[in-house]
Amino acid sequence: MNGPMQTSNLIVPRDANGMPVPLTESEHIAALKGKLLKDIQRSAYVYRVDCGGCNGCEIEIFAAITPVFDAERFGIKVVASPRHADILLFTGAVTRAMRMPALRAWQAAPDPKISVSYGACGCSGGIFHDLYCVWGGSDKIVPVDVYIPGCPPTPAATLYGFAMALGLLDQKLKGTHQVEDEHQRPTLPHPTIALDVRVEIEREARRLAGYRSGRLIADEFLTLVAESEMPLDECMKHRLSGEDDPRLAEILTRLWDIGAGVGRG
Amino acid sequence: MTVSEQTKVGQNYVDGLRERFGAAILDAEWQTADQVTVTIKLGSLPDVVEWLYYKQGGWLSVLFGNDERPLNGHFAVYYVLSMEGIVKSWVVVRALVEEHRPEFPSVTPRVPAAVWGEREIRDMYGLVPVGLPDERRLVLPDDWPDDLHPLRKDAMAYNQRPAPTSDSETYTFVNDATGSTRDVPLGPLHITSDEPGHFRLFVDGEDIVDADYRMFYVHRGMEKLAETRMGYDEVTFLSDRVCGICGFTHSVAYSSAVENALGLVVPPRAQAIRSVFLEVERLHSHLLNLGLASHFVGFDTGFMQFFRVREKAMTMAELLTGARKTYGMNLIGGVRRDIMKAERTRTLALVAELRVEVTQLVDMLLSTPNLRQRTAGVGILDKKVARDFSPVGPLVRASGFKRDVRADHVYAGYASLPFDVHTEDSCDVLGRVLIRAREFFDSLSIIEYALDNLPAGPVLLEGFHYRPHQFALGFAEAPRGEDIHWAMTGDNQKLYRWRCRAPTYANWPPLRYMLRGNTVSDAPLIVASIDPCYSCTDRVTLVDVKKNKSTTVPYKEIERYGRERKDSPLK
Repeated sequence: MNGPMQTSNLIVPRDANGMPVPLTESEHIAALKGKLLKDIQRSAYVYRVDCGGCNGCEIEIFAAITPVFDAERFGIKVVASPRHADILLFTGAVTRAMRMPALRAWQAAPDPKISVSYGACGCSGGIFHDLYCVWGGSDKIVPVDVYIPGCPPTPAATLYGFAMALGLLDQKLKGTHQVEDEHQRPTLPHPTIALDVRVEIEREARRLAGYRSGRLIADEFLTLVAESEMPLDECMKHRLSGEDDPRLAEILTRLWDIGAGVGRG
Repeated sequence: MTVSEQTKVGQNYVDGLRERFGAAILDAEWQTADQVTVTIKLGSLPDVVEWLYYKQGGWLSVLFGNDERPLNGHFAVYYVLSMEGIVKSWVVVRALVEEHRPEFPSVTPRVPAAVWGEREIRDMYGLVPVGLPDERRLVLPDDWPDDLHPLRKDAMAYNQRPAPTSDSETYTFVNDATGSTRDVPLGPLHITSDEPGHFRLFVDGEDIVDADYRMFYVHRGMEKLAETRMGYDEVTFLSDRVCGICGFTHSVAYSSAVENALGLVVPPRAQAIRSVFLEVERLHSHLLNLGLASHFVGFDTGFMQFFRVREKAMTMAELLTGARKTYGMNLIGGVRRDIMKAERTRTLALVAELRVEVTQLVDMLLSTPNLRQRTAGVGILDKKVARDFSPVGPLVRASGFKRDVRADHVYAGYASLPFDVHTEDSCDVLGRVLIRAREFFDSLSIIEYALDNLPAGPVLLEGFHYRPHQFALGFAEAPRGEDIHWAMTGDNQKLYRWRCRAPTYANWPPLRYMLRGNTVSDAPLIVASIDPCYSCTDRVTLVDVKKNKSTTVPYKEIERYGRERKDSPLK
């Protein structure tokens, strides 16, 4: 607790400009934490600290502890008080009003404790990172050990993050390293088709079917055209004859029209 | 956008206003066929809003300020009324406030529903509602500088953070009780689900005499962000993040606000896909709330079962949108994803499974004697209170009012979709549970019907241009009530002003009346019944005012007591 702004009701350290700085933990506590992680032989209790999230993360944590994903089978249990917790889960971008309640929860948890930043907002402040009423992530107020990214993280990612926090992961994972071959080159898609034609086809497919299905359909169409020996009209008639998805047929027909227009032009 | 004389809806309200208030009505301009903005003299504001509200079947959906000094030299206040009398339309009452006299007459003494909105205008613009009894802050944190109003255009950069002056909260809670009471503070950190909020229950023995609450612990400043750092399409992704459960509803409301302002016609297929995604969101949200309702009446098996089945709705969301949260699907002018045959077939199969499983679960829940005993007659929202405060969603429908923007002000693809607006007259928690259960099955039917009748054509409108300073409303019925957005385009490819009102904002003010007269053990259940996304607390401190003694009871204890109702921690 230092700095010029120190007055009687300030309990968090401040920098020279009077802005709060993150709390730190002593070497002794860090050593205890290392020991805890090495031989944790029991359940780990988790307390959620909502520092101003949108509920997306909170609901996904809920999903992670209910029957389908069932984090409790790993001994991970959500508890009702920070005083029972081994792990604190910070969600949200840390709003101005939640800074002190969150710190009080952190201080209430017994040492050694593991702090987890949960979700895009918890990890960095996310889309809100520099706003006037947020502090931009939980590591701006407390020391963080594990980051679980995602907006929101899926329950599977949540379990993975817990396993990482508890050092369980090394027991379960077998890592491999991808080494790039010297002559390995990325392949260009559809090199035989003129760029402007490709762009036009892809743009129309996206307008009709959105970014994902559109991309797949455009790829299929362009592959078909590039690889087929037959003229376009015959090739498309053949393709559409067996199609049972009327929507796909509609879009392919539209691309066919454009392809035919380009061919004539 | 210019609206032709023949298609204007709501002319009767404007004629009525002109007849009654004469010269106080300065101007009336239609933004879309059923949205009219009426500019009036500032002094007549309470009279005009009161007349539209009580005499013409209006409901106050949202009110907000706007700093229009760069445009016309004045601040402006807007009161948005959803007219649900004989003619269904939107009437927006607008009044200009002079820069050197930043005050306006408060509407709250006439129409209580205006209370939060007026407190927010004072926080964000420094415009003083004269005659508003509640002089406390609403949105801004306790230690925010007094003279800094974030939404004024010349106030501050969006990323300016004043150093905190205090490490403790100083908010004062209001207790209207006449006798002596005990204080039961709840929060701001809660255990069961979401959003921090601080409750004070003032109790006499077991009975709640009064209650007050401090919200906006999660105020982040999104409206300022949208005006300063983001383009139009980026704000759709920002509005997704207003709420983690009904985010897609918010982005539909926002994008339709901009589309309405510019007069864009969204392709029918995009509209239908929006409706499907909206209903998928309602599925998982209602299952969540039914699960929580089971939890709070002590029926934890039901809670786990509802969450197990809810994963099917989440699978459906993942199948259709690529992620469990239906985030990032909207653009101005349409959607970013189509539904192909494979997805449709699997979704329909999931709908069939959900119908069977949830029917069984709801039967099980309703035949559990505990449910009826704990919820019937609990958390009564009196019809008069409901009429005064303009609540939304299953809350107002359970008090006998047939309000649902899907039916009242048709948007997206709802004109051609089959559903009923369910109401109950019991005004209690049970009524809200029953309505949610029925709406769930309606949503399944809507999804089935919409998937079987998807129109052909594109999913996105392209090649339009943004025109500066156009504004309109956008709206969508979220699982917990209507989302209302008001957007005004700017001249720098950014919004000039974006106002977003989530349904819970309209549902908090009447909560106080719903808590009064109930017991402490019912409080979590009542709060959960408005589906605010959370309801419990990590600790409860009991303060005996007479003995000046305080006892701290762990959360588990109060939650246990809420479920078992034995061995009161208050004794």
